[in-house]
Amino acid sequence: MKKLLSMVLVVCVLVSLAVIPAAAAGEELAGTGASKGEARKAELNIMMSFPQYMDQWETYCKQFEEKMLEEENIQVTVNLEMPSSDQYESILQARLSGDDAPDLFTLHANNIGTYNKAGYLYDLTEQPLADVIYENVRDTVSVDGALLAVPIESQAWGVLYNKEIFAQCGLEAPETLADLEAICATLEEQGYTPFMLAFQEQWVPQLMTGLTLGDIVSGKLTDWLERMYADQGSYDEVREIFDVIDLIMTHGTDRAMEEGSEAGAADFALGKAAMFVQGTWASNTIMTTNPDMQLGVFALPINDDPGCTLVNLSTSTTLAVYPESEELDLALKFANYVLDENDSSELFQACSFNPLATVHDYEAFSWVADASAYVADGRAYQDLVLPSSVTDEQGRLLQEYYVGSVTVDEIVERLDKAFQDANALS
Amino acid sequence: MGSRRHPNRSLLLFCLPALVVYALFKLFPAGAGLVYALTDWNGLNRDYDFVGLRNFAEIFHDRYYWDSVLFTCKYTAVMVVVSNVLALGLAVAIESRRRAKGFFRTVFYMPNMISMVIGGYMWMFIFTKVLYYLADNYGMKFLDRSWIGDPRYSFIAICVVAAWGAVGYLMIIYMAALQGVPRELKEAAAIDGAGGWISFWKIVLPMIRHAVTICVFWALNAGFQVFDVIYALTGGGPGRATQSVAINIYEEAFRGNIRYGYATAKSTVLFIIVLVITMLQLYLTGRKEQEL
Amino acid sequence: MKRKRLIGDILVYGFLTAAALVTLFPLLMALMNSFKTNGELLTSVIALPTAVRFDNYVRTFEKMHYLRSLGNTVILSGVGVGLIILFSALAGWKLCRTKTRLSGFLLKLFIFSMLIPFSSIMIPLYRVTLLLKLKNSLLGLAFVYAGLGVSMAIFLYNGFVKSIPLELEEAAAIDGCGPLQTFFVVILPLLKPITATICITNVLWIWNDFLLPLVVVSDSRKYTLLLSTNTLFGQYSSDWTAILSALILAALPVIVFYALFQKQILKGISEGAVKG
Repeated sequence: MKKLLSMVLVVCVLVSLAVIPAAAAGEELAGTGASKGEARKAELNIMMSFPQYMDQWETYCKQFEEKMLEEENIQVTVNLEMPSSDQYESILQARLSGDDAPDLFTLHANNIGTYNKAGYLYDLTEQPLADVIYENVRDTVSVDGALLAVPIESQAWGVLYNKEIFAQCGLEAPETLADLEAICATLEEQGYTPFMLAFQEQWVPQLMTGLTLGDIVSGKLTDWLERMYADQGSYDEVREIFDVIDLIMTHGTDRAMEEGSEAGAADFALGKAAMFVQGTWASNTIMTTNPDMQLGVFALPINDDPGCTLVNLSTSTTLAVYPESEELDLALKFANYVLDENDSSELFQACSFNPLATVHDYEAFSWVADASAYVADGRAYQDLVLPSSVTDEQGRLLQEYYVGSVTVDEIVERLDKAFQDANALS
Repeated sequence: MGSRRHPNRSLLLFCLPALVVYALFKLFPAGAGLVYALTDWNGLNRDYDFVGLRNFAEIFHDRYYWDSVLFTCKYTAVMVVVSNVLALGLAVAIESRRRAKGFFRTVFYMPNMISMVIGGYMWMFIFTKVLYYLADNYGMKFLDRSWIGDPRYSFIAICVVAAWGAVGYLMIIYMAALQGVPRELKEAAAIDGAGGWISFWKIVLPMIRHAVTICVFWALNAGFQVFDVIYALTGGGPGRATQSVAINIYEEAFRGNIRYGYATAKSTVLFIIVLVITMLQLYLTGRKEQEL
Repeated sequence: MKRKRLIGDILVYGFLTAAALVTLFPLLMALMNSFKTNGELLTSVIALPTAVRFDNYVRTFEKMHYLRSLGNTVILSGVGVGLIILFSALAGWKLCRTKTRLSGFLLKLFIFSMLIPFSSIMIPLYRVTLLLKLKNSLLGLAFVYAGLGVSMAIFLYNGFVKSIPLELEEAAAIDGCGPLQTFFVVILPLLKPITATICITNVLWIWNDFLLPLVVVSDSRKYTLLLSTNTLFGQYSSDWTAILSALILAALPVIVFYALFQKQILKGISEGAVKG
């Protein structure tokens, strides 16, 4: 015991004393490698919130390294960092405010405004990539006409449904709330659970407010959001969204709070429920779990006016370039490479992202086509941009609503307050 | 004999390495945190304004914060009692027997070796898969509860996992203390009915009061700062139902409105609460030890 | 008497066995299910696996860069604990032996910060590590751990030194030992029991700490075991067989360490706790 301890101690102290100078020397050496006549060495730090697509992006970074060596004679080392999505934002914030920003980083399109105000986004308007992005997607990543990030995940989305089950029961996509009620009744008669509920993570129940508020604001209360930002509106005016939310919650699977988003997608793929309020970004998990799945998308009806039954057009993940990056040129090259003429399609397809630029020549999945049909009919709206604290609060309150600890009246009151608080801060 | 004549100089020399790292990595950040508490910094922008004590004034009206304080108090109270009673019970039970002491000690201490992040995920598997499986296939209907989703049960789930991680450590401390107590007394305490209880309260417990102080102090401190377990299991949800103060602060600093200044003000208040409770406890146990 | 004893044995061992089963339950479930295929896991979580397959382990072993992460964690905890012990033994001893106002103040200064919640110093601490260029440096991080860990260690050393008779030091001084020599030759060996506690508790703390490396280490080549595991959770978030095998792999080193040194570990912790 004594010997062991003293040995451990001695080793610890010795190691700590011996390695410090060695490490310092190592760092100096690393700094002097650039001046030779061969390939210039460079490092590019990229931070992304895509741990589920780690492999695909690693491969893409390797391709970029090769391309740079070949075309520019630069030996790039890409350091790709993928924190889990829980901690992503806090790490990114610490990096940015600590003058230690990655050269490129992903962020949600709804946060572009905030980050732009803080001066963390490089204006990409003049870059070649600006010309290839579809017009309607471009709008979602621009502020006052300036393109501030490369869109990566962009989709038209509504409710996912299992076409096979719908066909067996002789059902079709609903146009009104009454249709949806009838669908639930038929499904239950046939022994199916209508809705998959996976509320463990707050952002999933939040999707219900995302869809219903979008429907109601584009369909009838067009000035609601503006008035909310001016402290002159209330959630009381949009109270009818709870008609459909109640319907979904009462006709859903059990144990929703124990079901994570990925588990929910897998269970949905296995036929545990016929519908799932979830974006098309879940399609990757769904199709991996069940490659024979016949996946469809319909717009969520909220009342008896089909004019309010619309799909949501939104961009979630985007890639931004840090304006003070030491390797700005290289960072911009990478940003452009994401929408590269030759290689981008393969990447986007491997991650099941939707095509969003003219360089994407692959065929869209059938469920994307479903949603695109709505868009082609003009039955779509741009995702509402709410203060992110309000979005979080919606998710939390819907969890509480599901477990029965708040009433609709309390939700209205607390969301109004959250919105006013956010207004007061900006 | 320089140290005799200049006790403070030699003291400072010996404390210097510890003081330097301590000042750099604990005191300074804590002080800097206090400064942020007086600003409206959002953790993102490059500049910020001083707002005086406005953040602190706001805390008084922050219902969510006080809810989380209440939850943390409830959690700490339950954990201090449950983990100490369990640990002491296990320690007395093991120490009173001759056989298989090592085995049980090894088993009970094991969870303490494993990270709460790892342990939390293992329990997540139990709560979301195994218990339902038992409920559905073996008719154990009492297990069919929303262990993560329903605030009533998720509180139990959180306590179970936290106790799972902590009891072993406390038990080891109690066992060591009990080794100074004669075997007969321990055996009596473990099984001997009323007589045993009296001898336990009157003789054994006072003999190990030092260990009790350490363990209660440790459990209080850990309870008020609880983060990992809740973060791993419920994330503070559903809604805010299982939000501890540390989680409330974390969310304020990194989510939603990203009010870093306000969040540090909140953690200052947490610090003061913990300080007061600890002082009170040290004062009370100190007085008791003097009495005896 | 004998009969009473037997009943007592049954009661006590029954209680202990039940408690042991509850304690081991999550570990055993994780271990058992980590050998299954996804299909087997879905059919039954409590049935034994049909065959012992290491497929999941092979998969996660590579993904976690297991050996590299393990090495990083060993370096980090080894150096961190070495520093904590050296720094706080020096300080704790002197603080106990010097009875001046300053020593009282210093001791209080060290102890009071044990109550500061980590969340309140996280961002300023992160900025300090940047300023000192310690980011992505495991050794730098070890110094940060020393800064965070010395309070508790000094508190324990200070308490322990009280029990060491002053005569030994005085004898050493008469023999002509300087203070440093006295410390290393006379005091440090006497501190062994409490050093064992501090060594073990701090190794476990640093080994299992998550938030600090998460913020300070961004280079995946410097990831600790927990960070690598955490990255994996994101990748396989619905694939329980992969997650469980990763959990077992991450817990394995501590369990092996525990199995090899459990006598020392438990003895160290208990000796220290009573005397401290």
